[in-house]
Amino acid sequence: MASNKFQALGAGLSEDEEDNAHENIAHTAAMSVKVKPLEVPPDENPLQSTYCLWFTRKPSCKHFDQSLRQVGRFASCEQFWRLYSHLVRPGDLQSHSDFHLFKEGIKPMWEDEVNRYGGKWIVRLRKGLASRCWENLILAMLGEQFMVGDEVCGAVVSIRSHEDILSIWNRSASDSAATSRIRDTFRRVLNLPPGTHIEYKAHNDSIKDLSSFRNTDVFTR
Amino acid sequence: MSASPVATQTANNGIPTRRVRINSESEMPLEYGTTPGGTMFGTKIVYERTFLLQMRTSPLARTPPTNLPVIPGVTAPSEKENHKKNGKVNSGRVSPTKGKGVPSSIKEEEEQFSMDM
Repeated sequence: MASNKFQALGAGLSEDEEDNAHENIAHTAAMSVKVKPLEVPPDENPLQSTYCLWFTRKPSCKHFDQSLRQVGRFASCEQFWRLYSHLVRPGDLQSHSDFHLFKEGIKPMWEDEVNRYGGKWIVRLRKGLASRCWENLILAMLGEQFMVGDEVCGAVVSIRSHEDILSIWNRSASDSAATSRIRDTFRRVLNLPPGTHIEYKAHNDSIKDLSSFRNTDVFTR
Repeated sequence: MSASPVATQTANNGIPTRRVRINSESEMPLEYGTTPGGTMFGTKIVYERTFLLQMRTSPLARTPPTNLPVIPGVTAPSEKENHKKNGKVNSGRVSPTKGKGVPSSIKEEEEQFSMDM
């Protein structure tokens, strides 16, 4: 039960941020409060799913789910841009910050019922690429470009000291047809150069080694 | 026309349609293959990247979101970071027009990391 993404991240990266608790991320909007469905007015373009955008910044001592902060929700293209245009781009966030964009009802946590048997593809980017790549990734997700039914759960951009990391989470780590299709689309929408490593990690393995981005299975093309 | 069960069912259900109002020309897709309001692919509402990017300039997408929480450095300027770098970076409340502009960092990256635009 102690397992959570943040403790794990904290383990390897502790020296960096001294001021992480200066704002009260703690009192979270989070957790399974029943919310009213978002309405999409007839003159807006509806998305296939309603999405929630979450934010985390590495906390000193808090549990991951307590540090999750809901930034906004949207169910149409217009509502998405309304929110997105009023946010700092991920590349401009402080180090050890993450945006998590997930379908409504799925918490960006390994332990969520929907994620439990899932996993994620990750790509490590050198500094300077995160904002553009994140935009391409989420536009593909919102536009249902992955063509894998309901497999895709959400996407994460993780800003770190020396690299930034993009992840796309899916429900079934064992579904190799779906995961390889997601990988191919991931690669295509990011226009990744040949030779880029793309890594997969089942959430169950993350729960075991308490690490988001270590001990992954690496694929290269 | 035979009254086979299939035919009857089809006739009764019809093809689901949805009415989409176009408020400006910018909301029209570039390709004929794309439908305003999203293309139905199987049971999914599919949008091409170009269409989603066009929606960014729609008047409906410009109003500020409601209930945006104040998170310094994310949705609002961070006091600490404000003094660093060029003030633009953390001017949290980016105006929609400003949001559209391509920051200089993007231009640098393009030569080594070309994106299809």
